[in-house]
Amino acid sequence: MVLYDSATLGGSCSGSSSSSSSSKPPPLQQRQQKQQDIDGFLAGAGYRVRSSELRKVAQRLERLETAMVNSPADLSQLASDTIHYNPSDLASWVDSLLSELTQPPTCPSEFIMDPVSNQTVVSDAWTTAEPHMPQVHQNISYEQQSLNNQLTVVPAMEEDSGIRLVHMLMTCAECVQRGDFSLATSCLEDMQGLLTRVNTVCGIGKVAGHFIDALSRRIFQGIGGGSVNGGSAYENELLYHHFYEACPYLKFAHFTANQAILEAFDGHDCVHVVDFNLMHGLQWPALIQALALRPGGPPLLRLTGIGPPSPDGRDSLREIGLRLAELARSVNVRFAFRGVAASRLEDVKPWMLQVNPKESVAVNSIMQLHRLLGSDPNRNSPIETVLSWIRSLNPKIMTVVEQEANHNQPGFLDRFTEALHYYSTMFDSLEACTVQPNKALAEIYIQREIANVVSCEGSARVERHEPLSKWRTRLSGAGFRPLHLGSNAYKQASMLLTLFSAEGYSVEENDGCLTLGWHSRPLIAASAWQAVSDGTADFPA
Amino acid sequence: MVENHSREDHETGGENKEKRPKFFINDHVDILIEILECLDGRSLCVAASVCRLWCTIARNDSLWENLCFRHVSPPPSSVRSVVLALGGYKRLYTGCVRPVRSRLGRVRRATWAGDEVQLSLSLFCVDYYERLGGSNSNGRLVEKSSPSSLMFLCKPVNV
Repeated sequence: MVLYDSATLGGSCSGSSSSSSSSKPPPLQQRQQKQQDIDGFLAGAGYRVRSSELRKVAQRLERLETAMVNSPADLSQLASDTIHYNPSDLASWVDSLLSELTQPPTCPSEFIMDPVSNQTVVSDAWTTAEPHMPQVHQNISYEQQSLNNQLTVVPAMEEDSGIRLVHMLMTCAECVQRGDFSLATSCLEDMQGLLTRVNTVCGIGKVAGHFIDALSRRIFQGIGGGSVNGGSAYENELLYHHFYEACPYLKFAHFTANQAILEAFDGHDCVHVVDFNLMHGLQWPALIQALALRPGGPPLLRLTGIGPPSPDGRDSLREIGLRLAELARSVNVRFAFRGVAASRLEDVKPWMLQVNPKESVAVNSIMQLHRLLGSDPNRNSPIETVLSWIRSLNPKIMTVVEQEANHNQPGFLDRFTEALHYYSTMFDSLEACTVQPNKALAEIYIQREIANVVSCEGSARVERHEPLSKWRTRLSGAGFRPLHLGSNAYKQASMLLTLFSAEGYSVEENDGCLTLGWHSRPLIAASAWQAVSDGTADFPA
Repeated sequence: MVENHSREDHETGGENKEKRPKFFINDHVDILIEILECLDGRSLCVAASVCRLWCTIARNDSLWENLCFRHVSPPPSSVRSVVLALGGYKRLYTGCVRPVRSRLGRVRRATWAGDEVQLSLSLFCVDYYERLGGSNSNGRLVEKSSPSSLMFLCKPVNV
């Protein structure tokens, strides 16, 4: 899977600026750039191109590449006879080269007419081969060398298309952030055309397809969420279950949290676990079994499962509770279950949980806390409300598992970029799974997350992932102190990973927390917390 | 070892009394059990198809219990009731312990030996729970193509 490098363009331009990462130009130049609308990324690489011309330049570069590959005979002529213009003025340089070759020059009819405002999107500096003053300080032999390089390297169509797709995605996202929806729409059309030439079964094509869908949803359906969050509870549970089977992230979350809870409950006879998202209750059989086998015998276990209400009168929470109770009965663990139906976590009040003061409480949140981060200025911040009532329960342990990504940034483009990297990595890791229909349904599960991150705003956007460092700050500020997860948890996680047939997963320990990732990019982080016993909220670290 | 005893694969010992071998393994079930306890899982399954007596013995869960805990210290007695409740040792071994052991065996970490069985037990329990869903619910919760949490162990390892 190729990830984009912002300093290169289309893979086919001259080799002189292959991997220079952005060194910021001096401030005066930056101001000049802004005035002329010069693209900042390319400026850092030494090219001056207007942002509004980017697409056109890219198209012409592609055409130039095609021409060069197709007619190598002309290239030698290029190298010897022609005066080369300064390639840092990329637009005119490409144009001059194109006009040198036997391809017909570009014609104005190709400029896109914006149907709404009826203006050409492109500036006038583009008419063919206007003789500039040649800035001759180019090294001609260097040009020839770079041309030769392009002769010998036959670009893989697939890889180029992949890179182009990523660039176009970024361009489209930037247009969306700017509010330029007409340009974004044309970008979308181009991307959809490009998708037909790319393998969409795996790799960048598949991820790009999902992001293109999400972008088009945002552009055409608005940011209200629409059908993204409309999946029924039953569907969501099913997708979740398949995601659980297809890749180890949820198993890792469950096993690590269980290990921490088991250790926290050591020596206690009356224990109560509060699960913020029960789903099918897949986390709890292993805990029940471990409690059954602990030295000293099992405690009395109470489980309170929170979940969305079932629409058709079925009480799915209760059904899960019955199943868990049957399992507990088989292994001789005294068990009691209580279901709390709530469509949003912030609607749950602590009295609903009926916590007995004599019992030890564990709070388990698997990818639920980030949903509370949407801020509505009219209400108290939901995350603070929930964290404060958790604290009031004085739990022995609170296990928190969250996606390790920064998808809650205010700027859309930053969020989009981060999501592209994160979900590309996650899809890569999913390639290792061969079991159908797990894999297909797991992909739908991930796709829904992508759609929510990209196409929703406000209260509709619930997938507000934040990285572990931010959670640490937030939880410490809310009156919790971290508990180290311990070597048993690490050992168990490592063993679990080794069982999965893919070699790319990695468990890392991060200051007492565990993260699971794919090829050293952490994707999910597990941590454990305990309420600070004194009354102060800000506990100095 | 199994091949040597395949000679005894007849149940009527009546006709050849004068030529009857002095030692007939099926008469000494306790020795037979001792021998079968030494077998690995696959051989045990093969042994089960020798004759009815061997089949009965090989199905005995205690043989499989032995297999599960062969290279580790014997577990507390409470484990047995739990495992039997969840489906028995044979199922635990064939479904969990064997694939877990073979996959973790590639990594060769000494500290993992006892924990392999613990992990297998946890996975076994999740599997039991999923099987519960299939039989008890009205079919809507868990569909026919319901995922089994042990399926990832059954797939060939992509080394």
